[in-house]
Amino acid sequence: MISLRYKNKGTAVHRLNPFHKLLWVITIFVLALILDHPIYILLLFLATLPAVAAARVWREWTSVIKLAFYLCLAIIVINIVVSYHGSTVLWQAGFRLPVIGRPVITLEAIVFGAGMSLRLLAIISAFAVFTFTVHPDDIMLAIIKLKLPYKSVLVTSLSTRFVPALIEDAQRISDVQRSRGLELDRGGLIQRIRSRTAIMIPLLSNSLDRTVQVAEAMESRAFGSGQKRSFYKEITVSRLDALALAVSFLPVVLGIFMRCRGYGIYQYYPALEGLSIGGLEGAMLALMVLLVVIIVPIALLKRRIDLD
Amino acid sequence: MIKIDNFTFSYHDTRKPAIEDINLEIQDGEFILLTGPSGGGKSSLCRSINGLIPHFYGGEVTGRVEVQGLDTLKHSTRELATRVGMIFQDPENQLVTTEVEREIAFGLENLAFPRNIMARRVVESLDALGISDLRHRQVHELSGGEKQKVAIASVLALHPEVLILDEPTSELDPKSTEEVLSITERLNDELGITVILIEHRLDRVLQHADRLIVLNDGQIIADGKTRDVLSSSYEKIAGAGIGVPPIIRLTREMASTGISVNGAPLTVKEGRIMLSEAFRKPFRKLPAHDHKANGRPVIQVDRLWHTYPEGPTALKGINLRVNEGEFLAIMGRNASGKTTLVKHFNGLLKPTKGTVTIENIDTRKTTTAELARKVGFVFQNPNDHLFADTVEEEISFSLRNLRTDDEVIRSRVDELLEEFGLEKYRGQYPRSLSSGEKQRVALASVVAARPEILVLDEPTRGMEYRLKSYLMDFLKEYVRQGNTVILITHDVETAAEHADRVILLSEGEIIADGNKRDVLSGALLFSPQINRLVQAFRKQGIPGDILTVDELMRILS
Repeated sequence: MISLRYKNKGTAVHRLNPFHKLLWVITIFVLALILDHPIYILLLFLATLPAVAAARVWREWTSVIKLAFYLCLAIIVINIVVSYHGSTVLWQAGFRLPVIGRPVITLEAIVFGAGMSLRLLAIISAFAVFTFTVHPDDIMLAIIKLKLPYKSVLVTSLSTRFVPALIEDAQRISDVQRSRGLELDRGGLIQRIRSRTAIMIPLLSNSLDRTVQVAEAMESRAFGSGQKRSFYKEITVSRLDALALAVSFLPVVLGIFMRCRGYGIYQYYPALEGLSIGGLEGAMLALMVLLVVIIVPIALLKRRIDLD
Repeated sequence: MIKIDNFTFSYHDTRKPAIEDINLEIQDGEFILLTGPSGGGKSSLCRSINGLIPHFYGGEVTGRVEVQGLDTLKHSTRELATRVGMIFQDPENQLVTTEVEREIAFGLENLAFPRNIMARRVVESLDALGISDLRHRQVHELSGGEKQKVAIASVLALHPEVLILDEPTSELDPKSTEEVLSITERLNDELGITVILIEHRLDRVLQHADRLIVLNDGQIIADGKTRDVLSSSYEKIAGAGIGVPPIIRLTREMASTGISVNGAPLTVKEGRIMLSEAFRKPFRKLPAHDHKANGRPVIQVDRLWHTYPEGPTALKGINLRVNEGEFLAIMGRNASGKTTLVKHFNGLLKPTKGTVTIENIDTRKTTTAELARKVGFVFQNPNDHLFADTVEEEISFSLRNLRTDDEVIRSRVDELLEEFGLEKYRGQYPRSLSSGEKQRVALASVVAARPEILVLDEPTRGMEYRLKSYLMDFLKEYVRQGNTVILITHDVETAAEHADRVILLSEGEIIADGNKRDVLSGALLFSPQINRLVQAFRKQGIPGDILTVDELMRILS
């Protein structure tokens, strides 16, 4: 199985300031939401790919996108079934349902579903790059830097820390109980839930024991009430970082500006609009995509400077 | 210096004190081996020294504990952290961050050390343990042994004067055990850090400890120089159910039968010197009466290969035949395929290639639930077994799964409760019992189905001596009744004493298979202590395949 966790591959993207990557994800998220035009969204999705390539997380990214694809299929199917707007009827049912009348499938409903899916894919792709290249502890540090209380951040980080152990526990306990003749897939729903208790109870109790032990170990290492603490690592924001951060924010500004000028809007219903993009609009769109992609050259440049 | 005066402590919910009237003085730089049966108060004593008792646990305290001049009652665990470092049993549960270097910095961060000092201490601690290569690794990728070393490094970063290790090796394989113990010895030797080590198995550390302290029922029953304590309080120690290394038992028994022994050896090396006189006399022949099981084959493994999905090939063409009535020990280093192999015996794993046949049933054609009638499985940790509301329900669980008649279940449970001495716990919640009782409930719940084959996966790891001998006696009896027992173990002494046949696995292949005498004698890694001792005296006529104290005594007297 491919691990879907952070792994330090040491690429320029991995080394990039986590704030920068966070801002980049937010940028793509916001753009994907305020713009409707399928070409805009498609370009936005494609604009995340150079970062995937530069971070060398193709395998991980592919498996996430594969999962997202099923989700997209579901979105499209549901939209086809429930949405009867649209004027280009591809198929009409031979029966009537109360209230809505005769169900129809329209071209517009299919395309709308596809458009929404594309939007989702762009956002998921950006988030995937973020999760695979930002160390969980760095996320924690970033949040602390944003002035959230340390303890609540630590609790969150601890719970992610113990997920692998919990999975291992569950696997082992299930082996134990199966060896005692437990059949997990026998009987009706009630029976199945009951047989799961043979796994859940040891799992929960072991986790509780674990909690006490972890608390004890932390206490022994001077983790204590309300005292001042220092941080081994800190995310520093250099002047170059600040500049880069400003650059990564530009696409959002540009996107909002374009939206205000009426660009990037698209009507699916009642009939699909043309996809044509004007000259000035095209130029601005190209600039926006460029500003999203620019994270990769910035990362490479920054690594060169760091290594010098 | 640590000074404990008339110290008594009881946990909130109990009336009986966990430790009672302890008086103890520990000098700087001492290496102390602390041992005793489970529930004897070892952990409580250690937690009193670093302030977890009473600051973390609450409870009732009288008397006083002073560490480097600090009264633990008046100073918090946080303040004591730079004086006393504590390492716990389970390496998994003492690491809190996701990356090794941050883990080591965690304590320093809590004490608000400036960043430049932290950077230096992190590097130093990694170096001191020889794990600099782990610095940037993710904690979840590390092996148990590596995790334990990181835990030690992270405590060492605080520059403690005292290091307390509470059974640090009970979750580790022999190789990591060895590494962790030698690191501990080195920290004591080279940095002069006071070490308090809690251990069940004494053979490996005895010669290194300056002082041996034995706790039983919350009280110190023996305390002094290791060698002195072992000779002056031997009966008391053995009586408290503490496993004494074979060589020490041997010299005691030799002395009591009138063979003069020149000293009290702690190691094989010392034994070679001190016992050379005693072994210079004629020996009797050891009668050849090894138990041979020639019953019908109950397990047949043919050219078995197993590859985990997207993982390593764990078994490479295993051929094995286990007969009815055999007591088989499976040994081998970590990741040699032992557990993978036995999981094929009850269908938890299915062959990638080849076949496994249990009582003429091909495991590919049946389910684990069906095989549970024939094959019982005891895993290491009873906490993974127990879930029912009462001991009675727990024991009847597998019988109900196998759809046994209520009448039969009732009488079977009564028998088992009696056999395992659990009658008075019948209606109790199994998880609240003591560790020894839990182990017995888990065992009873597995043998309730009367499986003809009983498989145990490292049941004795971290187990105290008394419980271990109880388990082994039970298994021997079970074999005598015509059943087959398969035991995965790292413990050579246990295999030498109780098994009939031993197989050694290495990298997924069987590299030795035969009578325990042939497999376990004259080997470098997998020979019991007595066998390593007699190798020196083979020229004088001692047979080189002697494995245990009893055997040696039989030919001596």
